[in-house]
Amino acid sequence: MLTNKHLGNRLVVAVALIFCSPIMEVQAQDKLTDPEIASVAVTANQIDVNYGKIAIKKSKNADIRKFAETMINDHESIIKQAAALATKLNVTPQSNAVTKSLLDGEVTATKILNAKKGKAFDKAYADNEAAYHEAVVGAVKTKLIPETQNAELKSLLESVVPLLDHHLQMAKDLAAKF
Amino acid sequence: MKHLMRLYGIWMGCIILLLSCNSGAGPANQAITAPQKDTIIIKMMAFQPADITVNAGDTIVWINEDIVAHDVSHWPDKSWHSDTLQPHDSFVKIIEDSSTYFCSIHPTMKAQFSVKE
Repeated sequence: MLTNKHLGNRLVVAVALIFCSPIMEVQAQDKLTDPEIASVAVTANQIDVNYGKIAIKKSKNADIRKFAETMINDHESIIKQAAALATKLNVTPQSNAVTKSLLDGEVTATKILNAKKGKAFDKAYADNEAAYHEAVVGAVKTKLIPETQNAELKSLLESVVPLLDHHLQMAKDLAAKF
Repeated sequence: MKHLMRLYGIWMGCIILLLSCNSGAGPANQAITAPQKDTIIIKMMAFQPADITVNAGDTIVWINEDIVAHDVSHWPDKSWHSDTLQPHDSFVKIIEDSSTYFCSIHPTMKAQFSVKE
């Protein structure tokens, strides 16, 4: 029998998968331009920074807080480099359907995370991070990198993949503790 | 004949002189190795190379060429460790003992150095 707790935990994972799924849907549809890819990259990183800040605010668990700090620092570092590269290339990130879907998903997931506390929040945050990174890794590898035209932007995205893979493993290890 | 004997004597003298220089256990015969400096690059979420062998007293320099911050810490207890290394920062350590180390920020990044016996 599913308790409210179990249902809630499953919901967060489901939401994470739902808000990431538009990336895959667009994959079969429109091809993104470099300014649109820059927008998706910055947005995806910023969303995980925002989730990390929620965790720092709400969690007292040392493992959760350490993981969240790493997510904030790493993704802010990537945003800085992406922004610097966009400036150098004179590219203005352009909002698009994928960006909008990511932001819509963030609103939903944030509501769910904010409604939880204690261990239920810790588990929901860890599960969400694992699902989110899994979806983002897939999108970067199968859509963003193949569709990027500019060599420097492509190189930056390629250099981010090992980091995202690592974050995914860290998130899975963290989720397994709850 | 005297000329040949003189040449023979000179050759023998040279041989004896060379042998005397190369015999015994004096400092000239010992393999003295000056401390070396080895470099480990931190890039793409890995220490490169991940396994290195050095002499006691050698220096290892870790350079962070990755896109995010890392550190270099003794595994598993952080009994020695660097500060947080931002991209382009480096850490220098004189090596006396073999050790396994990791990045405590990204714990699955692990590597080791060994000191020659």
